[in-house]
Amino acid sequence: MSLLSTDGLVKEFGGLRAVDDLSVSVEEGEIVGVMGPNGAGKSTFFNCVSGVIKPDAGTVTLDGADVTGDAPESLAHRGLVRTFQDTRELETMTVRDNVRLAAPDQPGERTLPALLRSGAMQDHEATVRERADELIETFELDHLADEYSSNLSGGQRKLLELARALMLDPEVLMLDEPFAGVNPTLTREIADRIRDLNEKGMTVVVIEHEIETLSELVDRLVVLQQGGLLVEGDPEDVLSDERVIEAYLGGADE
Amino acid sequence: MSALDKLPAGHGDRALLAGVVCLLVGALFAFTPMRAQLPSFLYVFVEVGILFVVYGLLVLGLDLQYGHAGLVNFGHVVFFAVGGYATAMLSAQDSFSGIALGYPWPIGLAVGVLAAAVLGLGLSATSIRLRGDFLAIVTLATAEIFHSVFVNFQGIFGGNVGILGVPRPIAALVADGDTRLVATLFVLGGVTLVTLAAVTRLTEAPYGRVLRAIRADELVTRSLGKSTITYKTQAFVYGAALAGLAGGLFALYNGAVAPGFFTIQVTVTIWIGMLLGGAANHRAVLAGLAIIMGLRLVSRFALDVTPVSGDVFASIRLIVVGMILVAVIRYRPAGIWGNAQELGVDR
Repeated sequence: MSLLSTDGLVKEFGGLRAVDDLSVSVEEGEIVGVMGPNGAGKSTFFNCVSGVIKPDAGTVTLDGADVTGDAPESLAHRGLVRTFQDTRELETMTVRDNVRLAAPDQPGERTLPALLRSGAMQDHEATVRERADELIETFELDHLADEYSSNLSGGQRKLLELARALMLDPEVLMLDEPFAGVNPTLTREIADRIRDLNEKGMTVVVIEHEIETLSELVDRLVVLQQGGLLVEGDPEDVLSDERVIEAYLGGADE
Repeated sequence: MSALDKLPAGHGDRALLAGVVCLLVGALFAFTPMRAQLPSFLYVFVEVGILFVVYGLLVLGLDLQYGHAGLVNFGHVVFFAVGGYATAMLSAQDSFSGIALGYPWPIGLAVGVLAAAVLGLGLSATSIRLRGDFLAIVTLATAEIFHSVFVNFQGIFGGNVGILGVPRPIAALVADGDTRLVATLFVLGGVTLVTLAAVTRLTEAPYGRVLRAIRADELVTRSLGKSTITYKTQAFVYGAALAGLAGGLFALYNGAVAPGFFTIQVTVTIWIGMLLGGAANHRAVLAGLAIIMGLRLVSRFALDVTPVSGDVFASIRLIVVGMILVAVIRYRPAGIWGNAQELGVDR
């Protein structure tokens, strides 16, 4: 039984079928790469799975439960957390607050404990601070901890977004282009972190254009084209597949 | 160890302490034969001061909604009005016009707060999902609709006359005019300070972090597992309830409510006060409001010494307020004490 799967997923925008009868499954503990030419429906697939948009048809199953069309916040509670392609930092908040915010089950996020400054809230907040500072340090953002995240560079934002997602301790982590706009050194670093997380048992789904890094990182590659599944399998096999090469380079018959 | 070491350190706790002290001083004036005497030139200051602390409740609620959660509410006066009218209609005795039920005033005040909160909840249920500018239109329209309802349903709301005969609890306890004004200022000021303490606690806690995250990016906040609709609704309802409280207190101080007290001018004043001081900073929005209302006070005196007529002077005052706003937006877009990076207006 796979941890995360879609069955016959369809999403249309006007007349355009962005995702067309897509069935993909991800096993527990896997790293799966999702690739495909621009407009292949990768981000739409992510958005449908993570509850950002509702699919028109098909189902999304997470850990045996039908979560089709569930809101992002309820999916986050179920252990599915995603990042965004255009790094969405909370720019008007500091790096520290960005990471702390993600902490789940903070009683101080309810009115009464916040007003009463309850002991439970303060204890929990102490743990949250410690954990957030650890993550910030792990991602080498500690010298920027009190900066507003609008002051961060593109690569630092990717790191922050990853740190923030990890604060939730997700079971499935969905990363939308974690290497986009990041220099090669940092790319390797982020890839190493993702590998570490996976070794500790986290299931990861990555969308990426950086094929080289992606194929080294993942256990399995899924290639989308025009909203449908083109090829899936072992990275090496997939990358040498005629159909994939054609999809990327454009076939002679088009 | 001196007593000073035991004083609470945070802004919020200092405000709480100051608020409780104000309430006690107010109670002292109300329940003991202690009397205050005001030099006649101070009257106007105390009167404007009372209005300031009432509007202070409004601006604190608005700052929770807009400053923290990013909800654009252009109809804040409607909650003020609903709180005022509900309190007045429930507690007034023998009003000249409209409904007067004659219940004890605490019931009236409680219903006033509740009515404003319920209206806030209703508006949230229908409109809180709207994007900022659309919510602004909805709230603005709601305020205008209610204004015209209050004016036109004369049998219920007393038309332009409003509701008279509202009990004045402080006036009932204190016969002497000077003492009454001072006691009112202390009691209402105490309520505002306690409210300041409450909203400060709320926004300094992780609760406030979620509100500010929603202002920054709602989708990200949802993706991190926060139910943003709930938070937005809560912030909106809390702001509405505070405005209802302000309306109820205003009715009980004034002894009457009428549509003229609840015009769009109120919304404009508190918005300008908030933006001038710096949104998302509770003390700054109160200071901004004090500046804008102080200007009104200064202009009252200035009217006596300028050779122009009252009409002309009123227009000049509007021009001055407008120019101040332009200057603030140009040179301090986050307000005088606002944090430009936190408000995302840093360039």
